[in-house]
Amino acid sequence: MLRALDRKLFRDLWAVRGQVIAISCVLAGGIATYVMSASTLESLQQTQSRMYREFRFPELFAGLKQAPLSVATRVAAVPGIAAVEARVVAPANIELAGYGQPVSGQVVGLPLGAGRFNLLHLHAGRMPEPGRDKEALVSDGFAKAHQLQPGFELAVTINGRKQRLVVVGVASSPEFTYQLAPGSIVPDFKTYCILWMNAAPLEGSFNMTGAFNQLAASLERGARVEDAVQAVDAILRTYGGLGAHGRKDQISHRFLAEEFKQLEMMATLFPAIFLSVAGFLLNVVVGRLMATQRGQIATLKAFGYTTGAIVWHFVKFTAVIVTIGTLLGIAGGAWMGSGMSRLYMDVYRFPYLEYSIGGGVVAMSFAVSLAAAGVGTLFSVLKSAAESPAVAMQPANPGKYRRSFLEMPWFSQPSRMIVRNLERRPVKSLLSIGGVAMSTAILILGGFWGDAVDYMVFAQLRRAQLDDLTVTFFTPVSTRGLHSLRSLPGVTYAEPTRSVAARFRFAQRTYRTALQGMEPEGQLRRLLDAKLGRVELPPEGILLTDHLATMLGVKPGDTVTVELLEGSRAVRQVAVAGVVSEYIGVTAYMRRDALNRFLREGDVATGAYLAVDPPAMPELYQRLKRVPAVAGVAARAQALKSFYETLAAQMLTFAFFNTLLASTIAIGVVYNTVRISLSERGRELASLRVLGYTRGEVSYILLGELTVLVFLAIPVGLVMGHGLAYFMAMSAQTELFRIPFVVRPSTYAMAALVVALATAGSAFLVGRKINHLDLVEVLKARE
Amino acid sequence: MEAVFAARAVTKFYDMGEVRVHALRGVDIELYSGEMMVLLGPSGSGKSTLLNILGGLDRASGGSVLYRGFDITAAKDRELTQYRRRHVGFVFQFYNLIPSLTALENVAAVTEIAENPMKPAEALELVGLADRMHHFPSQLSGGQQQRVAIARAIAKRPSVLLCDEPTGALDSETGIVVLEAIDKVNRELGAATAVITHNADIAGMADRVIHMSNGGVSHVELNANRRNPRELHW
Ligand SMILES: Nc1ncnc2c1ncn2[C@@H]1O[C@H](COP(=O)(O)OP(=O)(O)O)[C@@H](O)[C@H]1O
Ligand SMILES: [Mg+2]
Repeated sequence: MLRALDRKLFRDLWAVRGQVIAISCVLAGGIATYVMSASTLESLQQTQSRMYREFRFPELFAGLKQAPLSVATRVAAVPGIAAVEARVVAPANIELAGYGQPVSGQVVGLPLGAGRFNLLHLHAGRMPEPGRDKEALVSDGFAKAHQLQPGFELAVTINGRKQRLVVVGVASSPEFTYQLAPGSIVPDFKTYCILWMNAAPLEGSFNMTGAFNQLAASLERGARVEDAVQAVDAILRTYGGLGAHGRKDQISHRFLAEEFKQLEMMATLFPAIFLSVAGFLLNVVVGRLMATQRGQIATLKAFGYTTGAIVWHFVKFTAVIVTIGTLLGIAGGAWMGSGMSRLYMDVYRFPYLEYSIGGGVVAMSFAVSLAAAGVGTLFSVLKSAAESPAVAMQPANPGKYRRSFLEMPWFSQPSRMIVRNLERRPVKSLLSIGGVAMSTAILILGGFWGDAVDYMVFAQLRRAQLDDLTVTFFTPVSTRGLHSLRSLPGVTYAEPTRSVAARFRFAQRTYRTALQGMEPEGQLRRLLDAKLGRVELPPEGILLTDHLATMLGVKPGDTVTVELLEGSRAVRQVAVAGVVSEYIGVTAYMRRDALNRFLREGDVATGAYLAVDPPAMPELYQRLKRVPAVAGVAARAQALKSFYETLAAQMLTFAFFNTLLASTIAIGVVYNTVRISLSERGRELASLRVLGYTRGEVSYILLGELTVLVFLAIPVGLVMGHGLAYFMAMSAQTELFRIPFVVRPSTYAMAALVVALATAGSAFLVGRKINHLDLVEVLKARE
Repeated sequence: MEAVFAARAVTKFYDMGEVRVHALRGVDIELYSGEMMVLLGPSGSGKSTLLNILGGLDRASGGSVLYRGFDITAAKDRELTQYRRRHVGFVFQFYNLIPSLTALENVAAVTEIAENPMKPAEALELVGLADRMHHFPSQLSGGQQQRVAIARAIAKRPSVLLCDEPTGALDSETGIVVLEAIDKVNRELGAATAVITHNADIAGMADRVIHMSNGGVSHVELNANRRNPRELHW
């Protein structure tokens, strides 16, 4: 019985194929962003937990100055701690034949035999053999960046002593999935590297034989991290303990956790926008279909079809669109997701990443698109299907209109028609405006990321950090030593700095970070407020990164407890003089002389900022490498370049998808709106053509309505985009980084332009249909 | 009398796949200035097709139609639009009013693009709807809607008024009111008028009745004394 009806179904679908495609695409956009984010999230989380198990990621971490190995045994005896592994990790400078830039890194001592924690994944080569002092493994990111193969030789300076190491393998480890050089913004695999070598020779070079400076532990089931941290801190205090912490403060783990949060938001916010627009479009199209088929439905019922059969018929109509959209979306999401995973693999050095789409994600995709479609259509389908055939058979009356308060006496009749049509369907008009506004907002969001990054780069590297090179020392150095730096070739200016680990406490809250001693009128490093104005360092007291102040809940004028974790280990109440605006990490600042007094030390520094004549740079690198006190050298220009390179690639991809998705919504909404108007009013417009109206004049009525909608939608969209960007900026505020809320005027203009172009494109498509209105056909039959 | 239209050997066929439907098989007719003509014939005889061709809505497959010497069969689309805009008034079976415009505005929609129109209110008065000017189509009865359609058609002072089954959707009483309106504007404005009907009783109001059957003119009948529509009944 339904065979004929099914044929009708496909003909109906074919008749509105343009709209079927438009709605499917909007639906697909929502499903694609969901599938992309959800599947990437799921894959990353699965990979993470598998990797943590397989490579034994510890649960407790502690750094310290130095302690004999017997201390590790004492830690192992702490209740709640299951197993402990102690090791030596040393900072190093690395020279690579044929690469002129400074490369810094860490050398990790490998325990004899099988290690307990942080097992390595070998990408190539082999492990260093026991007793071979000159063999080392390099991190895979570094190996890839420089195309290093096993057999390659590196000159590695540890503790001022240069030695040649042979690369025997390429490895990765869960503790180094995110490799951020101290003070840098994004991982730079060209200038930062992790090396692993046998423990004995490393301990020898670092004067740490029989001792350790890092400790990892696992916990017994049910043990609390906080308790273990306290107990371990108590033991390590006398050995220069830098404070133990759980996974949550481990840098790789923390960055991944942040990333997961972002993905979760992406998996809800964007799909919600797209699906609500798709639901609206389906509502409009199915509503129109029900109206045109009113007579047909009545006839079918007159011949004995049940209401249920009719409802089922239109449910199938919707289901076809939902299926097309969802399948398209899943395919698109899989494609984007695998691309996104590759992007993650570039930044996060997982030993492997198995990208897959779980059955749950697929089921969820269908469930949410069906839900959106159901909400959008079910009401009008049920209502029409239940209508009494006798009523439905009667011809529909002309639509009920009324004069609009918006119209002016001098309006031409076509202009009146535009205004009255908009006003007759206020909900539909508002939803159309909402849809177009959403797409404008999404476009602004895309532009916002670029604006924010540009602003960060500008603020950080052109206003705050003006040094060409940052030098760090192994141990605090008297500032007299700075004279020797100043006399190096090309150095035009040098500014000392003193950094010390400290714990900050206010009320119940504590936070561990660096307390940085700065020169009062520093030329190379400046502390800035949110408007990029300079913030002066007070003679006493501290300045906090704004986010640190928020986390601690302090405001300028409050007093915080500062506990130094090195040197004097003094504890003191210090006044918070103000906050500074920074985008990466959180730090507290103090005048260097005040900090040195706090530490009960003389005029010393742990590093220096240098201004350098660019031509002298290569020679200066060579000379700096030979200065024994220098632990590391970082170049600003290099950081800037790599930052731009990494981000530019990601931004471009993001902007592309973003524009694509936003245009899908804009075109979907606009095309459907006009298409429906045309179908509702084709007869009316054809009548006008019969009366002598030209094509242009008839197009004006139809497209004028659209133009009014879009003109109203764009400002709404600009405001919404502003809000959405603000929301994104606020929800991305973490201790690791913040995104400034900056949207350039050009971004707003661009969003408006893209929407206008999408509108013009859809108008063009429908405009061609106006030209082909069949005048005779339209007059023949009553609708 | 001057011929407004002169149609010669007009043919029209539709190709429906294998078969060719001949809607008009060579029609020769004239419509004279100020004349009231009725096209009478059974459904499917080609009346609407002919009227649409005369009105510049459709194109003939063969033959020629001269409107005051201007060959509309050879005219471009744009010229046809201008032709309809200036010279032709249409009235349709289903009124085809713009639902979003009031009666007055529906008329104004045409007068706004015409060269020397009457005032919209004047046109509505002519059809006896002065008191319904500000009503929307949904607030008017079928007969009233049709009279608005007539007002709209004649407000531009057309040279020809073409009415396709103007009473087809109306009961006889209402139909007569509508026909009176047509009769009145024909007399007062002198527009050459063609009224299509399949109802032989209506033919009495014409100066000339063209009988059509099977795509051709079967015979032409002259009415010595044209009757007022009020005297008709069916
Ligand atoms: N678009 C069309 N396609 C095919 N045949 C048509 C079309 N329009 C009209 N016809 C045919 O042309 C003939 C004349 O139609 P029409 O002029 O509408 O008749 P009338 O108005 O006298 O009832 C009919 O046989 C009709 O089926
Ligand atoms: Mg007809």
